[in-house]
Amino acid sequence: MKTNRLLLLFTLFSLLISCEESYLDDPAPTSSVNSSIVFSSKAGVEAFISGIHRRARSQFSNTHNGGLYSMYYARDVKANDILTKATWFLWDYDHTYRAPNFGRTTFSWQFPYYMINQANIGIKGLSEATGISDVDKDELMAQFLGLRGFYYFQLALEFNHHPSYDANAAAPPIYTEPATDSKPMSTISELFGQIKSDLSQASTLASANRINKTYLNKNIIDGFKARVHLYLGEYAEAEASAAAARAGFSLNGSQYGSGFDDMSTDETMWAMAQTTDQSNYYYVAPHSFADHENGAYQGTFINNDFVQLFSDTDVRNTFYHYYSTNTAAWFAWVTSKFTFAFDSDMIMMRVAEMMLIEAEAKARQGNDAAAAILLFTLQSERDPSAVASGNTGASLIEEVMIERRKEMYCELGVEWFDAKRTRSGITRTGNHRVFLDLDPDDKRFILCIPQSEIDANEFIDDSINSDRL
Amino acid sequence: MVFQVALAQQVVTGTVTGQDGMPLPGATVVIKGTSTATTSDFDGNYTVAASNGDVLVVSFVGYNAAEATVDGATADFSLTPSNDLDEVVVVGYGTQDKKSLVHAVETVGSEELEKIQATSITQALQGTVSGVNVLTTGGIPGAGQTIRIRGIGSINASASPLIVVDGAVWAGGLNSIPQDQVESISVLKDASAAIFGSRGSNGVIIITTKKGKKNSKGTFTFSSNFGSQSEAVDIHETIDTDTFSKYFFEAVVNNNQYELGQTNAEARANAASSFVQDLGYNPYGTGAVSPIDSDGNLVGAPLWDTNWYDALVNSSPTRVDHNITYSGGSNKTNYFFGMNYLHQEGQVKTTWFDRISLRANIDTDITDKFSMGLNMSFNNTINNTPNQSGSGFSNVIQWIYTIPNYYPLYQRNLDGSYTLDSAGNRIYDYGSRALAGGVNGSRTLLTDENAAGALEYYKFENNSYNFNSSSYMNYEINDKLNFKSSVIFGRDSFDGFSYVHYLYGYASSVDGRVTQNRNIVTTLSTNQQLSYSDTFGESTINFDGIYENYALKVSSVGAQGVGFLPNVTVLNGSTTPESVSGAVSEERLESYIARLRYNYAEKYFFEGSYRRDGSTRFAKDVRWGDFFSVAGSWVITNEDFFNVDEIDYLKLRYSYGEVGNNRGIGYFPYMQLFSTGWNNLTNTGVLSQSVVDPSLSWEKTATSNIGLEFELFESKITGSIDYYTKKSIDLIYDRPLAISTGNSSITTNIGSIKNSGVELTLNANDVIKTDDLSLDLGFNISTNENEILELTQDEFISGTKKWMVGKSLYNWFIREWAGVDPDDGYGMWYKDVLDADGEPTGERETTKEYSEATRYYLDDNSSLPKYTGGFNANLSYKNFDFSTLVYFSLGSYQYDSSYAGLMSGFERNAQGHPDLANRWQNPGDITDVPLLLNASNDFNATSTRFLYKNDWARVKAISIGYNFDDKMNEKLKTESIRVFVQGDNLFTFTGHDGIDPEQTLSGLTNSRSSLMKTVSIGLNIKL
Repeated sequence: MKTNRLLLLFTLFSLLISCEESYLDDPAPTSSVNSSIVFSSKAGVEAFISGIHRRARSQFSNTHNGGLYSMYYARDVKANDILTKATWFLWDYDHTYRAPNFGRTTFSWQFPYYMINQANIGIKGLSEATGISDVDKDELMAQFLGLRGFYYFQLALEFNHHPSYDANAAAPPIYTEPATDSKPMSTISELFGQIKSDLSQASTLASANRINKTYLNKNIIDGFKARVHLYLGEYAEAEASAAAARAGFSLNGSQYGSGFDDMSTDETMWAMAQTTDQSNYYYVAPHSFADHENGAYQGTFINNDFVQLFSDTDVRNTFYHYYSTNTAAWFAWVTSKFTFAFDSDMIMMRVAEMMLIEAEAKARQGNDAAAAILLFTLQSERDPSAVASGNTGASLIEEVMIERRKEMYCELGVEWFDAKRTRSGITRTGNHRVFLDLDPDDKRFILCIPQSEIDANEFIDDSINSDRL
Repeated sequence: MVFQVALAQQVVTGTVTGQDGMPLPGATVVIKGTSTATTSDFDGNYTVAASNGDVLVVSFVGYNAAEATVDGATADFSLTPSNDLDEVVVVGYGTQDKKSLVHAVETVGSEELEKIQATSITQALQGTVSGVNVLTTGGIPGAGQTIRIRGIGSINASASPLIVVDGAVWAGGLNSIPQDQVESISVLKDASAAIFGSRGSNGVIIITTKKGKKNSKGTFTFSSNFGSQSEAVDIHETIDTDTFSKYFFEAVVNNNQYELGQTNAEARANAASSFVQDLGYNPYGTGAVSPIDSDGNLVGAPLWDTNWYDALVNSSPTRVDHNITYSGGSNKTNYFFGMNYLHQEGQVKTTWFDRISLRANIDTDITDKFSMGLNMSFNNTINNTPNQSGSGFSNVIQWIYTIPNYYPLYQRNLDGSYTLDSAGNRIYDYGSRALAGGVNGSRTLLTDENAAGALEYYKFENNSYNFNSSSYMNYEINDKLNFKSSVIFGRDSFDGFSYVHYLYGYASSVDGRVTQNRNIVTTLSTNQQLSYSDTFGESTINFDGIYENYALKVSSVGAQGVGFLPNVTVLNGSTTPESVSGAVSEERLESYIARLRYNYAEKYFFEGSYRRDGSTRFAKDVRWGDFFSVAGSWVITNEDFFNVDEIDYLKLRYSYGEVGNNRGIGYFPYMQLFSTGWNNLTNTGVLSQSVVDPSLSWEKTATSNIGLEFELFESKITGSIDYYTKKSIDLIYDRPLAISTGNSSITTNIGSIKNSGVELTLNANDVIKTDDLSLDLGFNISTNENEILELTQDEFISGTKKWMVGKSLYNWFIREWAGVDPDDGYGMWYKDVLDADGEPTGERETTKEYSEATRYYLDDNSSLPKYTGGFNANLSYKNFDFSTLVYFSLGSYQYDSSYAGLMSGFERNAQGHPDLANRWQNPGDITDVPLLLNASNDFNATSTRFLYKNDWARVKAISIGYNFDDKMNEKLKTESIRVFVQGDNLFTFTGHDGIDPEQTLSGLTNSRSSLMKTVSIGLNIKL
């Protein structure tokens, strides 16, 4: 009968569309991956490391709080050799951009901690991973530890004076694994303990292999170590690390004038690379500020007193008049050191820096002869008419310090870094736009602790900023 | 087919009468079991050929159908009006008689829907249903609404109600459903939403489309209306070129004098000489020579005074709506077909919205136990929506409020003549020409853009196609047991296209840019429902057991490229691809539902429901949730002891339920994942996303409602009053984390909010009822109080609001304006006086430093209204009908940032408002408008200076119609013809001019295009 046939059809139809066991288990995210995929193979972990490097050179907050490159340029404009017009970074130049709720303060805290958290996720995931060989694990672990040590060092520089000022000064909290619970402030000596431990462990585990110059290997990690030891005044270790770091790299003065936008130059040890489709566009510092002919903001200017330090035949003398020949005007001198384009690379570590660290460390240990030779190697590479100065003792050290400024202006904030580690002030001379001097251990060398951290961290309250404001 | 010997047929006549013996013309008379039908004439008389023993079924709208067996040549029918209470109300997974409702469910029927022109169907809920707060944010035709039922119950998860259309959970926009195809909208406000389990905590809106009726004559309706629109509320006024020039001059003088310390004479001389350089342009024709002297006098009339409003706003945008429907039914089948075409233009030029919609709903009996049905609809909406809200440079409304008349629409030479292109056409002025001599080339505001040029040269087109179908098979196992199986399928494809011109505008540096996105959303759900109903003695019991599953898949692809030749606007023509994207997202839900209804003697009603949902949005071990409700009602008037003449009907009802919320949180919010796309040169890169809570689960809301429904004085007054409380716990909330952890927040279940309020609905039926005249009135009002019960920290600042336990989510937390100092014209704010420990003493002082001023929590000023409601009236006099619907909202406060911008006093060279005439000018002036000052200042920064009380009412609809009388209808062979004039949003009464009172829940405004008022004429024909 019709009804029976229909009933049969109906039941079959209903059964067809009834439940399956895995109905709710099937849907899965498609454009994201699980940690099990990331930590299942060397390629997976390398993809994570690639992502971290990309993030460090992307646009994090805004034009003067974009990434690692912004942190370095902000340090450059705080000193004497470089000045900026009233565009991005002007508040760093004015030393006013340090209050708890300002962008520089929040960014300088948030960005390193963001990277540290990614490194901690990497360290934890890698230590628990099962499908990766020990050799590969060591190589990868070194990179995470190196990054972590590096970023804790940035926090120590931005938020604290030199440890010799007060070894128990409150310092940014230390996290060694991914966490959601807040931690209290540490002390600066504990923080440096962590930094040195991370970097030395990284140096031990690291190999010389790396995919390209944007990644870390033993050379770069030793370069980080050199900087840290130099900062702390541990000159023997600084000398050893710097020598190990620059092994295999050579100077090439002829490439100096090529625009500092290409990491394939011989002198480049570590860089952040860009292409037109992987770019932070106008955020790239210092290129987009320093290049007055192709750049965007035309912000970077050079102190006349600094220009006078260079001989005419020095390849580093890239200074010229673009707006005015009146050397008393603040806008008199600009530099052609950097060429801006959307695909300009940002150079983060060069062999010259390592040579100078090694030279200074030798000089400070009393090894004047070796120091002078190393120093002159660089000087003669840069200037065909250079003559060895014959300086010794304090004047040799002074000469190396000046050479650091001449070599690395507008790159890593050397003046500011050197002032902090030598407990000196910064005095503005020459044709500055705003004259503001910093005393030694001036509180304007450090930032306040950000308000958003105080609001959300139960261990930190407003009193933390009472001697920073 | 069985062949039956026909009994002798005879002519049967009779009269159909209704209430009080009045004849009913147009009543349908059908011979049951056949397709023979006729209608009664003007006097209620009918004639049909039938045999003795045939059953005649007579029906008429508003009356209960009647049947009688033919036994002779005459059969009269006296129909009884169908009681409002016998009305069938659509609830979740079924229908119910209104009299057996135990929940707070309100319905808007098709007669009410006919009275307003709603492009987006949920606009019809504003003012008609108590407890529902509907905001149409912005004037883009077809824009959606923000709907909140009984307050706001969520912070980070979605607070919008669930929308169900013909049994299908509706994911898309509602502007694709024409109101002529909608039979009713039911709003489930209380625990009645519990049957939707994990998605019901914000209430449910059920939309049912028309279905046709069995045994009814096929009816064809045609309706058309043509409307002309304009702004419902005029936007802010602006000043002309001369006024701007004089005010800007004064602002520069004030800066020179008061900020830079010059003498008054020096200040004036400098302001005059720098005038042209400061503004960049000179509409007075004097080139680089200043057109203004040091006394502030202009040389003459300006050569241009750009009326940006006229250049950018449509002078009278139109709205055209055509509908055709055909519905009817035989004894086995009922059907409804609908077709709709709508074209609506918007306030901003080149804004338009087109919709084509086709629908077919068919239900048919196959045998006497089996029936089947199919509802299908196809909609296509196309719209062009240029930028008209927010802070993008080409936002037309922001443009009108930013660029003064001083700047020209087209490029001009120094003498005011137009610069022409090689074809002799005028060129829009983008404000970015580097000219030698520098005048009339570079404008520092919104550089490299021209809003009129954007409207002409950019193209935005959104194309949406959606197809929805639901089909079912129903088997009546026996007279107690019924089984129904349904399959619901929907496919929505959206194509968004934009082209930014190769030569003019923000993509000119890359020779033009095309962006295209195509998203396809498919939903598939199946539902098996077993229903049992039985009566024994005085008791009736109904039970439903349901198994349902639901799957959603979103597949999106996008591409963007640059470098185009003129007139090439497709991606094939791009020289350099800029980006490519594509992703698939899925979610599924599996549910077991049971519902039990019981009533004793139609006096005591009880209902309970239980639902168990498993959602893929949560981790496996926390993905199942249980949601239940219990409710009961007591019809007091059915008790023997109750004997009050005036009260015809009194029902007390109470419901309690626990409902969930899992919406608005992403598809896999609990998974700790690494996102792809962070490539480093040629190496693939991934990066860890923010930290998640793997045990993230539902928000739960416990909702209780007590209500009283009543009918008094022979149903002349009907209504209901309800009191409700909704307590939401385990809110899905972004708990702030210390940023040193590397994350700024974690989405977790914490926190609690309570909403409570009262709703009252009153209807006066037949206030006047004579032969010619009848009048019905209706009124509803609702209140809502919002209170935070639990947070993770003492207080949390969210923009202009501060959340604290014991307070509302929406009270303003901003600085208080203290007026203007008569001595120097500077603005002041209040600041707390602190004691030695830094604690406020309770005293206040004024300060001119905005950053030092204290932000105050304003207990009495909230962005949410205290009372909302509506009033409606329906009147008919002879052949005329008149109806109106008014909506009101009292007690909210709104921040007008557009006005704040216009009152900035020329901090920069942007447009100004005529109210600047009241500014401070000389020491001793008492005014509330600070001096004009061309320097960075905080006078118009966020404070109570621009916080306005937002009590408002709007006449949402007025319509006057004329119905052709029956003689005309007989001649034209139509059943009815109505011509009408209708006004929508015709009058708006507000406390503060220049901005529509309907903006956002948070009370912040965004320079969006305006809501429109429409005056239309139309025609409805029924055949």
